[in-house]
Amino acid sequence: SAAPRACALSLSLSLRPVVQQRFGPSVVKDRIHAVLKEELANAEYSPEEMPQLTKCLSETIKDKLGIPGWQMGFDRYKMVVQVVIGEQRNLSRPLRPPPPSAWLLTVSDADTDNYTRDVFTNDSLFCVVAAFGCFYY
Amino acid sequence: MEEYHRHCDEVGFNADEAHNIVKECIDGVLGGEDYNQNNINQWTASIVEQSLTHLVKLGKAYKYIVTCAVVQRSAYGFHTASSCFWDTTSDGTCTVRWENRTMNCIVNVFAIAIVL
Repeated sequence: SAAPRACALSLSLSLRPVVQQRFGPSVVKDRIHAVLKEELANAEYSPEEMPQLTKCLSETIKDKLGIPGWQMGFDRYKMVVQVVIGEQRNLSRPLRPPPPSAWLLTVSDADTDNYTRDVFTNDSLFCVVAAFGCFYY
Repeated sequence: MEEYHRHCDEVGFNADEAHNIVKECIDGVLGGEDYNQNNINQWTASIVEQSLTHLVKLGKAYKYIVTCAVVQRSAYGFHTASSCFWDTTSDGTCTVRWENRTMNCIVNVFAIAIVL
């Protein structure tokens, strides 16, 4: 097996997730979207509540994605979930979320690591969620 | 006796080191600039790319996730939170907040140890 180099790893191990257990971006995105629809359907932006809501959402989503041994099969993955909530600027003309931030992932193993993003908007707020999955060997 | 730190034996993620690296990258890209919608994508891409490059150059056995948001300073609220499922002894995160007269920048670094 190859030894890791400083900036780029090249691994040829036999420890790979089976196809069904890979971090599938579209599957993950669907799960995230379901949570957002449920939690934010009637949500209104308020400065006092948003910090707690943002935090809870990130934990809820992480829990739904990352429980070891869960039937989702992502039990060999480390997960990072990031939630961004912002106030909609013009209630009569809801805007799209601000220009996307750049997400970058340095991946030694593009075969197994991945990320996905989902966006939810209503009249009052926008919410962007990014979930990253890193396979651990 | 002088304390001697063996660099290669460092355990856990050095958040201070990452913080300094990222702050310098942001300073380099946004320093002296005013918010400009046309430049946002290029700025965030530069910040992320440079931060990542410098972090990887540390030569540690980590995978990195770097996220960056640049928003115009205004009365409108903006919140971010993250939640991680990982090994708390080896993995870590740091957040860098930067602002000037016209914009706010938030960069998050997540470092995930590669353990073979």
